[in-house]
Amino acid sequence: MEEASARRPEGPDARERILRAATELIASDGIDEVRIARVANRAGASTALVHHYFSTREELLAQALLQSFELAADERFGAGPAAAASATEGLAIAIEECLPTPGEGEREWVLWVELWLRAAREPELRPVAGRMYESYREWVGRVIRRGVESGEFRRVDPDEVADLAMALFDGLGVRSLIHDPAMDLESARRLAAERLGAELGVDPSALTA
Amino acid sequence: MSPRPQIDHVRRPQILAAAAEVIVERGLVKTRIADVAERAGTSPPAVLYWFRSKDELLAEALTVDEERFYVEMREGIHLFERPRDQLRFMIEASAEEYDWILWIELWVRALRDPATREARQRLDNRWREEIAAVIRAGQGAGEFGDADADEVALLLGSLIDGLAVQATLNDPAVGRERMLRCALEMAESLLDCELGAAAYETAAGNGSETSKYAVRETVPHLADPELRRELE
Repeated sequence: MEEASARRPEGPDARERILRAATELIASDGIDEVRIARVANRAGASTALVHHYFSTREELLAQALLQSFELAADERFGAGPAAAASATEGLAIAIEECLPTPGEGEREWVLWVELWLRAAREPELRPVAGRMYESYREWVGRVIRRGVESGEFRRVDPDEVADLAMALFDGLGVRSLIHDPAMDLESARRLAAERLGAELGVDPSALTA
Repeated sequence: MSPRPQIDHVRRPQILAAAAEVIVERGLVKTRIADVAERAGTSPPAVLYWFRSKDELLAEALTVDEERFYVEMREGIHLFERPRDQLRFMIEASAEEYDWILWIELWVRALRDPATREARQRLDNRWREEIAAVIRAGQGAGEFGDADADEVALLLGSLIDGLAVQATLNDPAVGRERMLRCALEMAESLLDCELGAAAYETAAGNGSETSKYAVRETVPHLADPELRRELE
């Protein structure tokens, strides 16, 4: 906050700041509660400046969600699993990173669930969600393909197992996020590791960090 | 405490059915009590007599929706004798008939509202118990392997939710087939049984064990080159 007010209200980073303020508010209050005035206030900008960059509230929210996932993609869909010593270790990292870890991971997950709802409801947001899922699917698919090619995993269709993995991460992850008593983070990790281990012919204990 | 208003002619179920329709159309945030009242052919006070808040309306509307689902499902289940056919029927019913927008709405509200979280938990537990009961029956009849029935139910419920998110966000027509096949395959693998997942491999699939390979030939981009060479 002090960072924001110390800066000039305009300039090349103003748009950035507005988007960051918007994603923070989406995560803390829910997308439906986000008002232009509060975003402006948090970003240390005027509502006029927000409107200068984003003509409507919906556009601001769509861009904020999009950017939030693109930023996450740089980290999450980056080098982690690929840099691992083996495909098995890479998959263990993927399982860890795709479930809602406390802090940043949970914050990102809240945005993820908000995106589901908006995209389910608003067809114009579906391309955003579609792009997210596409890069997510490619990333998970690469992790699996690597193990299939190296012979660490059974010879499965990597894209099909990627679909299964994503469905497990989403279904187990959302339960863990909303504190289902049957599904803490550890159970979610264990169940994902067991299912993917069985699917790929890998010892599940090698898939839990 | 206060005298009961004269609203008995507008029943609670009618209000809930109206609420479910309006929430699906507009989303909970844009749903006003007045809209629900209008749809149900009554007045806002009549709605507020039965329901204190929109969150309560959502949770109750889903409960009613769920109740209807279970009634229909039980009727359907009775058409089948063997637990494995019953399980397959339940998985198909959950993948096909559900209104996922309401479920996703429920998750989002559950993130911030404890009462909604409880309502979601109650609905989820019930579904898991129904599935687990069929699994136990199948294990008793020697149709299924001896996996932990509650855990299988939990996994199946989670997988179906995750698949439903994908199907809802992508093309629903394409999504449902794949969703069913994936859920049935996992149930088969967990319970060491045949549920007929292969029948969902492809619209042109023959349902035999080789259909997995048939779909790879029909849809070449799905197949990795090595596997295709092996098949040819």
